[in-house]
Amino acid sequence: MRLIARFAKDRGTHFDVITVYNGKTDVQQCDKNKPLIESLTKKYPAAIWFERKMFDDFGIQVEGAFDTRPLLHHERFPKNIHPMLKNFNDKSLDLVEPTAYPYERINGDGIFEVAVGPIHAGIIESGHFQFSQAGEDILHLEVRHFYKYRGIEKLLENKTLDEAKAIIERISGNESVAYQIAFFEITAQAWHVEIPIHIRKRNALLLELQRVISHLTSLGFIPNDAGFEAALAICSKLSEAARRVMQRITGHRFGFAAIGFEIKEIDIEDFSLYLDSLQKDINWFEDWITDIPSLWDRFDNTGKISLAKAIKYSTVGVVARASGVTQDTRDNQFYIDYGFEMANEKSLDVAARFKVRISEVKNSIVMMRNFLDNTNEKVIFKSLHDGEYNSFVESSLGELFMHVQIKDSLIERFFVRDPSFVNWQALHTMMDGNIIADFPLINKSCDLSYAGNDL
Amino acid sequence: MIKFWQRRFKSNVLTENLEFDDQLKHIKKELKESIHIKFAGSLAIRMVDSGSCNACEAECNALDNPYYDLHRLGIYFVASPRHADVILLSGVITLNMLSHAQDAYEQMGSPKWLITLGDCPVGDGVFKEHFAYKANAKEYFKVDFHIAGCPPNPESIIRGLLDFIKTI
Ligand code: SF4
Repeated sequence: MRLIARFAKDRGTHFDVITVYNGKTDVQQCDKNKPLIESLTKKYPAAIWFERKMFDDFGIQVEGAFDTRPLLHHERFPKNIHPMLKNFNDKSLDLVEPTAYPYERINGDGIFEVAVGPIHAGIIESGHFQFSQAGEDILHLEVRHFYKYRGIEKLLENKTLDEAKAIIERISGNESVAYQIAFFEITAQAWHVEIPIHIRKRNALLLELQRVISHLTSLGFIPNDAGFEAALAICSKLSEAARRVMQRITGHRFGFAAIGFEIKEIDIEDFSLYLDSLQKDINWFEDWITDIPSLWDRFDNTGKISLAKAIKYSTVGVVARASGVTQDTRDNQFYIDYGFEMANEKSLDVAARFKVRISEVKNSIVMMRNFLDNTNEKVIFKSLHDGEYNSFVESSLGELFMHVQIKDSLIERFFVRDPSFVNWQALHTMMDGNIIADFPLINKSCDLSYAGNDL
Repeated sequence: MIKFWQRRFKSNVLTENLEFDDQLKHIKKELKESIHIKFAGSLAIRMVDSGSCNACEAECNALDNPYYDLHRLGIYFVASPRHADVILLSGVITLNMLSHAQDAYEQMGSPKWLITLGDCPVGDGVFKEHFAYKANAKEYFKVDFHIAGCPPNPESIIRGLLDFIKTI
């Protein structure tokens, strides 16, 4: 069983701790006066961040956890505050005197630490990496994030579905379409509306276009981090072209506000021509880049994560599929009917993740052709129903899980698990036997979101 | 690599071919000239993300693609605030980032400028005041200029930079 998410809810009289696996959901009640749960970290290492977050959010203590440091609340964050409690209503907090954060430390002769971040050298999001080094060799990496913690879950409480929409599409800009679809599917469930096939096709088309933009960007930046800038020049041109197509068909370069019950007409001829040229370009790119041996020297055997570890750490998306895990939210009849084929590589390294991206771009082109449809029919709404709803979407990074509880037509609890949240926790396992100079390459090959992770 | 050069020769100079937007071309020229006069030919920018959704960063990355190629105009995104003339601040300012962003600003040598990028850091966007972040950069920094949009597209950023240079 794979751990998907673990989160809590303040039910007034008690807490519910909900653990979502694939195929099963556990709900455990927990006393508010003595909030204590068992840790799952022995079996599921990815439970660590979920559990540390639960303490910061609700004050729920975790028995048997070997890591109880604060996760969301950094050095200067006010102490003893648990913002997800229903009785926390402060609109503004002030910083306090800093308390040091004890980093994971490896002691020994000549071992030193390298601290990178939260502000990085390039145009990248903010986050921190703490390396323990023996010369060039990485002994250990601690990924420390949540610098960008915006308190999104709390921000969305007591909002109407309409009000929430604009915020949800801005949780992680690069994955905006995926977030919108996840929320759209929840909204449809709450309205008791069956999503008509033409809307599902349009959503799927936009999702694939976003995947293409994101993969093309990575296909440029990964070689760039190995010192091969020519690939970046080619791919940044291709991704810009794809972004302009997104702008043409949705009116926004990132597809903000693109998902809804209204379908905008796509110029099918224009779009097909674009797909033809993209097909040509990606074939050329693959042929060209496969032929650069010095580049593959850097890619092969770098940043490996074994199949066993990829499963143990509950990884998803490109990272999982490059290590032989056959997991993809799109692996269902709807997608298969429109041409979905799961990309899968077995070499576990940067090379595998690079190749998975190329295959996925090619497969996305096939699917986008099949998803083209300009049908526009009115959807009839019934009434909005309170309840608890889940949805899963395969964003360009991997499986996105969203949970929304609606009460009196308002959002009572919003929870989302970005694919990055689990994949970040597996990143340190890829450092074994690698040198620090390869870290940017390994990190980029996973291409994870900070904003979606930190919320 | 021979395949690359074959393609490269066939596709000519990408940036020239694709600059169909005359207006943009004009702005770029003006920008290049004013950078030459006011910043001795090179304007160094340090990007600081204090809590964005990452779309604002993506648009800054796009500035270096062959369509816009900002490098050519003498605009560089640099690795350290100590090398920078300007900080571009994107996103709301989270409690966890506030002191780091202030640190970065203090590290810059004078004269220095701070430009807020996108609706987030000035509270114009969907992220209004909330416990986990500050939505008004003006209370914590001396803000010299603002480039609006959610996110501002590369063209708006280029226009914005030109307008900013005109103010100094
Ligand atoms: S201004 Fe808009 S695009 Fe930029 S970080 Fe904020 S929400 Fe994202």
